[in-house]
Amino acid sequence: MMITKKAISRRALLRGMGVTLALPMLDAMTPALTAAAKPAVRLGFVYVPNGIIMDKWTPASEGADFVFKSTMKPLEKFREHLNVFSGLAQVQGRALGDGAGDHARAGATWLTGAHPKKSEVTIRAGISVDQVAAQALREHTQFGSLELGIESNQLAGGCDSGYSCAYTNTIAWRNATTPLPVENNPRAIFERLFGEGDSTDAASRLALMDSQRSILDYVNSGIKRLNAKVGARDRVKLAEYTDAIRDIERRIQKAEQQSATMKLPVMERPNAVPDEFEDHVRLVMDLQVLAYQSDLTRVITLMMAREGSNRPYRNLGISDGHHNITHHQNDPDKIAKVTKINEVHVKLFAYLLDKLKATPDGEGNLLDNSLIVYGSSICDGNLHTHHDLPIVLAGGGGGQVKGNKHVMLPKETPLNNLLLSMLDKAGVAVDKVGDSTGKLDCLA
Amino acid sequence: MNKRKILQLGIALLVCGWLVSGYQSGSQAQRRTTAATAAQRALINDYCVSCHNQKTKTAGIVLEGLDFNRVANNAEVWEKVLRKVSTGQMPPASAPKPEKKEAAALVAWLESTLDHADAVNPQPGRPTIHRLNRAEYSNAVRDLLAVDIQPGQWLPVDDSGHGFDNIGEVLSLSPALLEKYLSAARRVSRLAIGDKTIKPTEDRYLPRRNSRNEKTSDDLPFFSRGGLSFQHYFPLDGEYLIRVRTPSNGETGEPTRFFDHKLTVKAGLRSVGAAYPRQSAKAEPAVPGPRRPGGGAPPAMGAVANQPLDLRLDGARLQRFEIPETTSVEMIIVSGPFNATGRGETASRAKVFSCRPASALASTGEEATCAKQILTKLARRAFRRPVNEADVTPLLAFYERGRQAGEFDDGIQRALEAMLVAPDFLLRVETEPAGNRLNTAFRLNDLDLAARLSFFLWSSIPDEELLSLAEQRKLQDAATLQYQIRRMLDDPRAEALVNNFAGQWLQLRNLETITPDPDVYPGFDESLKLAFRRETELFFESILRENRSVMDLLEADYTYLNQKLAEHYGIRGVYGAQFRRVSLTAEQQTQRSGLLGQGSLLTVTSYPNRTSVVMRGKWILENLLGAAPPPPPPDIPDLKPKSHDGRLLTMREQLDMHRANAVCASCHARMDPLGFALENYDGIGKWRTKDAGQPIDASGKLPNGTKLNGPSELKKVLLTGHRDEFVATVIEKLMTYALGRGLEAHDAPSIRAIARQTEREQFRLPALIASVINSKPFQMRQAEPVKGTKTL
Repeated sequence: MMITKKAISRRALLRGMGVTLALPMLDAMTPALTAAAKPAVRLGFVYVPNGIIMDKWTPASEGADFVFKSTMKPLEKFREHLNVFSGLAQVQGRALGDGAGDHARAGATWLTGAHPKKSEVTIRAGISVDQVAAQALREHTQFGSLELGIESNQLAGGCDSGYSCAYTNTIAWRNATTPLPVENNPRAIFERLFGEGDSTDAASRLALMDSQRSILDYVNSGIKRLNAKVGARDRVKLAEYTDAIRDIERRIQKAEQQSATMKLPVMERPNAVPDEFEDHVRLVMDLQVLAYQSDLTRVITLMMAREGSNRPYRNLGISDGHHNITHHQNDPDKIAKVTKINEVHVKLFAYLLDKLKATPDGEGNLLDNSLIVYGSSICDGNLHTHHDLPIVLAGGGGGQVKGNKHVMLPKETPLNNLLLSMLDKAGVAVDKVGDSTGKLDCLA
Repeated sequence: MNKRKILQLGIALLVCGWLVSGYQSGSQAQRRTTAATAAQRALINDYCVSCHNQKTKTAGIVLEGLDFNRVANNAEVWEKVLRKVSTGQMPPASAPKPEKKEAAALVAWLESTLDHADAVNPQPGRPTIHRLNRAEYSNAVRDLLAVDIQPGQWLPVDDSGHGFDNIGEVLSLSPALLEKYLSAARRVSRLAIGDKTIKPTEDRYLPRRNSRNEKTSDDLPFFSRGGLSFQHYFPLDGEYLIRVRTPSNGETGEPTRFFDHKLTVKAGLRSVGAAYPRQSAKAEPAVPGPRRPGGGAPPAMGAVANQPLDLRLDGARLQRFEIPETTSVEMIIVSGPFNATGRGETASRAKVFSCRPASALASTGEEATCAKQILTKLARRAFRRPVNEADVTPLLAFYERGRQAGEFDDGIQRALEAMLVAPDFLLRVETEPAGNRLNTAFRLNDLDLAARLSFFLWSSIPDEELLSLAEQRKLQDAATLQYQIRRMLDDPRAEALVNNFAGQWLQLRNLETITPDPDVYPGFDESLKLAFRRETELFFESILRENRSVMDLLEADYTYLNQKLAEHYGIRGVYGAQFRRVSLTAEQQTQRSGLLGQGSLLTVTSYPNRTSVVMRGKWILENLLGAAPPPPPPDIPDLKPKSHDGRLLTMREQLDMHRANAVCASCHARMDPLGFALENYDGIGKWRTKDAGQPIDASGKLPNGTKLNGPSELKKVLLTGHRDEFVATVIEKLMTYALGRGLEAHDAPSIRAIARQTEREQFRLPALIASVINSKPFQMRQAEPVKGTKTL
């Protein structure tokens, strides 16, 4: 009996096929219209785990017109929109006296540049760059940011040598103690973006929002009442609620403002998680592009897999786990397999860039107006190094960033310097983030 | 009454006697204590301080300069000493050791000193505010509104800590989660009252990948096979369309087909199924799923025979379809409601509408009175306490809004929607008594105790009986409490302990995420995975329900099998898909007795394509012996796959070399022998005597010199030499789960007390659970530790 129940709970998620929902119209809402002069810069952060086989990655020559190595080959057609970096490091990912756990530290540092606390329970890292951007840019959009992923977020507890799974499950940190879970179900992403009301009709959507708002008021007053009764540590917990409430209220307000300008073409919402890895990634990327395009958010993180992922890539004929074979001990057979995985990830990234390029935005296209960084917080998966990271930056940043460069930076340049520069181009003025020491001046 | 008085007098006398004697012999006792303390101080100085001193701080432990007269001040360090010395792990093998008697005296002294300090000044801890996790949300909604569709599945996975996902401190809340709570509340409340505006939806149900042609569910008739069965919630009375889809087949040119049945259904949760009647079993029809072996002769062209397929609702046959023999059910799609005729008479509506306005023409006042009654009743259960005007008034405001926009029932729906996201429902907050002194321990009030009880045993809210006892403050009475514990453990809802406690302790939930490599383990499929889980669930449940000792978890002369699993284990004479209890012969017991012989555990502690001696050893240390190895150090040298002369090394040889490194050896010497003892089980728990042509060597030697070979000897070692650690670990796991917080040094005296109490009862699992409930950490709470924080 119980077996049946379990089987269903999973399947019940697949409800509602064929239900169509409205999509806010694309161009009608582009920020370009509000400030015709300068297109909004979209930020993206695409993470791949377990490092990359670097001799198939790093171009040999510096500067323009470098020759693409095999793994990066699928990106060649975006050369004019591409900066490849060597020499960047995320030194807070190193042990620094904490022992093993490089995968946890890699995930936790990639966008934070903050050394994570070694614990399975009291987690602490730092605010991530995407969230710095989200907090500054959220006033323009319904969602400050989206956190997307491919692997299920089922893992909980300890994942790497005494570190909480939170460190490897996500790269986005709302603040030092609140990791943001990634969403991997395309249907859930769709519903988050476009709502789950039964009707596409604007009036009923607004009525739904109105009713939500009154419920939030009610929740808020309940929290206030509790706050007066509890101790200090509990009040920290309650503050999470208050923050969450405020966040949703703000989104509702934004949605109400935008609903006036929405055109509603009909689009079918995705029903389930595709079986094949590559189909799944492409579907999530489709939604990512849609979210940029309709300006529901300007900041998106995407984890191609969780850090330390041990997913086998059977469609590539690889039945060993990804993490296992990155500890290749120079076995050429394993290196070849890891390289294949690296290649398929890059190929999928090229798919994203293709879509962005094909999507008109303002005077140009979305790729012109984006800055999408791709890479890992581990360089050599065999040795767990956190310097010379594989990092590329795609997109024109609204005409502020010139491509076709292989930039060789001094060794140990903080990755956060690049991230800080991205914030700068997106109009987010901060002086320092994590362990950054200054902006890069090589992007223009 | 009389009896009670005598008892009280007795206690008073006892207390007086103790005080008087303590007073009289005070100086004498003090002298004795000083002498004992001096001896222990000398022992620590002689055998421990050479490593654990201020300078070297080996393992971060300093035993130099500790105050032996105020042991409780350093409880954390002393509890570690106690554990390491009592289990013989310290001093290490290489160092000089005190005599056994001396070590035992140190252990006894530490135990009694720490326990005494706890008796005088208990520190029961302070669990953080706890939000309902997915399982608790599902169960609470089920018990509150009779909406039994596990809405917790719509929420994101909860973070877990200390091995469980009900740890208040770790359960965080993000905007995305709050949105999901909001949307779940809307869906649940609409289903609960039967919202007439619910639009038709389409739900798809897929069969699991099953390599056997057998009855697939208890909801299908005995003489059936294949197909699938599932529970579907029909939200309203109305018409529904059930479509059976068969896949297209490139080989036979068969197109995708639909077999439709349209019918009128009454609202509620019903089982829908489709299966082949058994008597039609001719040639084996195709195995569903893409990985279909190419065996069997191709069907003759143009002569595809049909086979009957019965579509059923709640067991009754709706229609018999004839579907081509070469195909199979790909999915069943349920869509509706169409032409809804009413809200229906569902269990939920019966539960919610405890009153009805007298007639359709009832006055507003009459309606409001009824609404108030309904909401007061439900809010009391949802908030786990008596409710007052301040609680009900805002809910009535929601009712009013809904009533204005629709019918009476719609008003109730709005109020329910709000109630389901109310902090009083979603959060478990424990009350601080007024005027409580800082940092003192106090007894929980009855309502908070009732909530701790029901969330521990049922992962849900208290039921009516428990709640009204708590309101009458009757849980303070020991006999009443004991009766309630017994009653709750006997209730079907105690299955939550199996799903949530055992499911996490024994890592059954991790089975969901494992994917053994089909090339290495072609025998593994979805139904074997489910069978693994089911076996361990039923086994654990039998220990609980039959009042058995936790020792039986490791060694039992029975288990639960179906044909699939029995064949996997090489046990004959078990037929059919349903599970039943199977007695194991002495020979079968050598392989399959207890948890360590079960496929679930052996599979989750393996890699997708091979076993892991280290993972299995670590699992035993962590979950059975409570001695988790520290995380591996930085710069771990790789395993060397080849010897100096280039010969390929076996895994055992590689690990032997690894252990030659002293740093690695300190942990692997403990982990590896335990894991090697299970090497006769392959990566999916099948028994084997050879691996890659080599005979299995399941022997090993523990750091203390104990030799062991194979699972039977491993069990013996665990149950005799390590019995106390095993029992303590089970108690610790239960307590962590019961309290929803990580354990601290100040909990150790309670754990020891529980072990002592339950030894008399052969460590029966229900006794362990009751003792946890009766313990101070469970019944008490520490007041706010720091002064002045209220002003923040």
